[in-house]
This record gives sequence, C-alpha cells and structure tokens, in this order.
Amino acid sequence: MARSDAFEARESERVSTYRLLATDDALSQDLLGPDAADLAAASLAMARRFASGATLWCAAPSWPWHAQHVAVDFVHPVIAGERSLPAVMVSGDHLWESLRPIARAGDMLLVVSRSDEPSVAGLRQRSKAWGVLTVWIGTGPRPEPGSADFVLWVDDDETVSSYGGRFALLYHLLSELTHVCLENPGLLEAEQAVCGDEVCITCSDEGCLGEVVAIRADGRAQVRTPAGLEAVDTTLIDRAHPGDLVLIHAGTAVTLVEGSPR
Amino acid sequence: MSHESTGFLNRCVDTDGHDVGALLSDLVATAGAKAAESSRLRRSSLEALDSDLEQAAQAISERFRAGACLYTFGNGASSTDAACVAALFARSPGGALLPARCLVADPAVLTATGNGVGNELAFSRQLVAFAHAGDIAMGYSTSGNSENVIRAFQETRHRGLLTVGFAGCDGGRLAGSGVLDHCFVVRSHSVHRIQEAQAALSHRLWATVQQRLTPDGERPAVGQREPAADQDLAEPEEVR
Repeated sequence: MARSDAFEARESERVSTYRLLATDDALSQDLLGPDAADLAAASLAMARRFASGATLWCAAPSWPWHAQHVAVDFVHPVIAGERSLPAVMVSGDHLWESLRPIARAGDMLLVVSRSDEPSVAGLRQRSKAWGVLTVWIGTGPRPEPGSADFVLWVDDDETVSSYGGRFALLYHLLSELTHVCLENPGLLEAEQAVCGDEVCITCSDEGCLGEVVAIRADGRAQVRTPAGLEAVDTTLIDRAHPGDLVLIHAGTAVTLVEGSPR
Repeated sequence: MSHESTGFLNRCVDTDGHDVGALLSDLVATAGAKAAESSRLRRSSLEALDSDLEQAAQAISERFRAGACLYTFGNGASSTDAACVAALFARSPGGALLPARCLVADPAVLTATGNGVGNELAFSRQLVAFAHAGDIAMGYSTSGNSENVIRAFQETRHRGLLTVGFAGCDGGRLAGSGVLDHCFVVRSHSVHRIQEAQAALSHRLWATVQQRLTPDGERPAVGQREPAADQDLAEPEEVR
C-alpha cells in the first residue's frame, strides 16, 4: 500500500478492510534503515539520564497500552538481572497538567502517538520548558524538525504501526539498547548542559523556553526553566499569566509563545 | 529526527579508552541485527501458522456472527498486548467494530481477585462472571507457562468458549494443556521478539476475521482501492 494512500484513507476515515490485508508485507518488513542511528543516540541519551537519576514518563494518549508496555519493560526488564529503572505511564485528559508537579528537570518523556494527536503538542512544549528530554515514537506525517529531542517514526498505516507491532519493535529496541549503554558506565557522564551554560544545548542562541509559575510582588514573573526557577522581566511581552510559556533571553521574557493555554 | 542535537554525544571517552562513537556504532549494528531477527521471526511465524490462522479466523468470525464477545488477557507486557488486540477488534479504524474487551483494564477488579483468591484466578474469576457459552477467550503468555492464563482457559473451555492462545518458546504448559482450540506458538526465546511476532499474528487474525465478516461479493482484490467498497465501510458495521 502506498504510504500517501494510507494517510489519505485514514483522514477520510474510510479504510477498506481489504486494503488492510495488503499490509501483511508490512507486518514482516525490515524496519530500521537510517532510523537506527537515531535509535542509538536516543538510547544513549536515555541511559545517561537514567544514570543520573531521571524518571521516564510515558504517554500514549490514543493507545495507552503502549505507554504501559514501555513502562513495564523498564521497571521489570525481560532479562533477569537487568536493573529496574523508573518509568511511569501518564494517562488521562490532562497530560501535561498532571505531569507538571512531578516531572523534574533532567527527566524524560516518551510519547507514542500520531503526529496530529492534539494533546501532544502542549506536552512536548512544556517538557522543553521543564528540561525534560523528549522521545517521540509515532506515525502520520513526519513532525517538524526539533519537535522532540528524538523522533523515531513509522511511515505506515496506523493499524500496522500501532496494532501490528511496529511501535513495539521501536520501543523494545530502545529499552534493549538503553540497557546496553548502562553496561558502559564510563560513557554515561555527559550531557550536563542546560540553559545558563555558556553553550546551551537546549536553547542555543534563541533563548530559553520557560513556564510562568507566578507573578511576583515586584511585577516580575517567577518562571520555571530547565535550570530552575528564575525571576524574569516581562515588560516586553505586556502581561504574563501563570501557565504562559515564554521565551527568555538575558533575564527577560522576549516572546509570549503562541498556543500557551489559558 | 533532530540530527543537529546529537553531536555533543561524541565527546566522551571512558577510562578504558572506549569512546562514544564506537558505542553508537555498536548500537546501530545491534539494532539492525535485532530488527532483522524480528522481521525473520514475524515472517516465519506468519508462514508457519498460516493455515492455523485461517481456521481460527473462520471459527472466530462464526462466533462473532452469532453474537460473541471477545475477552483478551495476559500478564505484564503481555497484558498491554492483550489490551492492544481488544482495541484492534473493538475500535480500530478500517474494520467492522466488534465486541471485545481486555480483562486487565480495571485495577480494582484485578487487585480484588489477586488479594482475595490469588493472582492465578485473576482472569478465570472474571470470565466466570462475564462470559457466556459461545464467547471467545484469547490469552497471551510469552513463556506459555502463566498460571492465570492457563487457568482461564481451563475454566472457559468447558463453559463452551472458543479458546485461542498465544505462546512463545516451545509453547510451554499452555501448548500441552489440551485446553486450546487454537494455539499459536512463536518459536523464539526472546521475549520482545515473541511479542512482536504475536502482534503480527494477531493483526493477521483480525484482518482475516474482518474479511470473513463481509460477504464475498463485496470483496475487492487485495491491495486495490475500490471507492464503492470504501463507502460501504464508511459507517462501521456493528456485528453484534
């Protein structure tokens, strides 16, 4: 089945049953190709974060069983003797709101979803503001570059990706490779850079994303960033509200990020 | 993929002189080998079990036509695979919507049975409460030795349910238990590869059931798009 055909059909919600039979090939295809390098880099980044005490949060809004599967694979690894790692499924209608009080800078978020899943955009943005590393496994039109720290994509029909084991292969490999990395403790000490360092891997030259937590008595905003809480001048963006996402440069909020929910 | 963000990973060399670049190359090779093994196993399982899948699909579709409900179950990651299959039958795009439910959906029920009568009865107790003769029980166990899965099949077989089991390794006790109408064994000892192949088998089973549930005359050639047939299925068909 041609890829574009599959997506067209899904969008119109008219996928013929019989066309799905044509995906048997897809059920047994070789899958990785160039994505193997991304998978390797994501696994190393995750191992480094686990090694420094991070928690992996797992969300799959439309397919919660995938988030549960990832969490159980890390907490109770299939190979006896492999260490149990903190991974937790997050569910419900208010994903980022429920994650906000418990996710810490340095944690990780793994999302399994379509690219157009409505609840995921806010989750990814907030994660960036909180200093949470994002890994996105998905299907549908490929997301914009930079949508997540690591994007592992399945270009296939949703029924094959989500229900035929394609996503499972990706997150299985992710957990297997992460455990391989953890056997190399000498290679896990890196990636301490967060906002505020001379070279900021998170915000580069563009400023740092932060979430307004409160408005202080002096009129400045208390903003949560990957580096922690900081007082930020908001005169350039008129008025900030708790919950706003702002772009910060040199102690000043320079932009109110579009789409920050009220 | 944000290729630009991974360069920083290459800085580090450990005390034994191992460098991150070499580790990443190893990981890529490992991932490739594992993915190839996954495809091989899925392909060989689909081929080896082809006629069994056809027969199971025939039996399952007959039961659905007669008003059956499908119950799925398993432990740990297999419980999530069971949930996935229930959702595939009950609400996936592109097929008739069929009555299917996973028995691990409610932690209150699971912990109540686990606490009260033991984990080995977690599924059979629910099936006694919910299932009727004519329904379908579908259980997943990568080892084939999960006690509560075997007990669920023992309980339901004599109640007239169709029993469909998915196992790995050599099939374990499940394959030799005599309580399965249809038994699909993925011949591997890797839990993850078994789960991936079980997902492929389940997907094929679902697709074949869907095919059986639509009258022959309406079937377009496989892989070809027929707008008329698409339109027929625009409104999901409720079988029950």
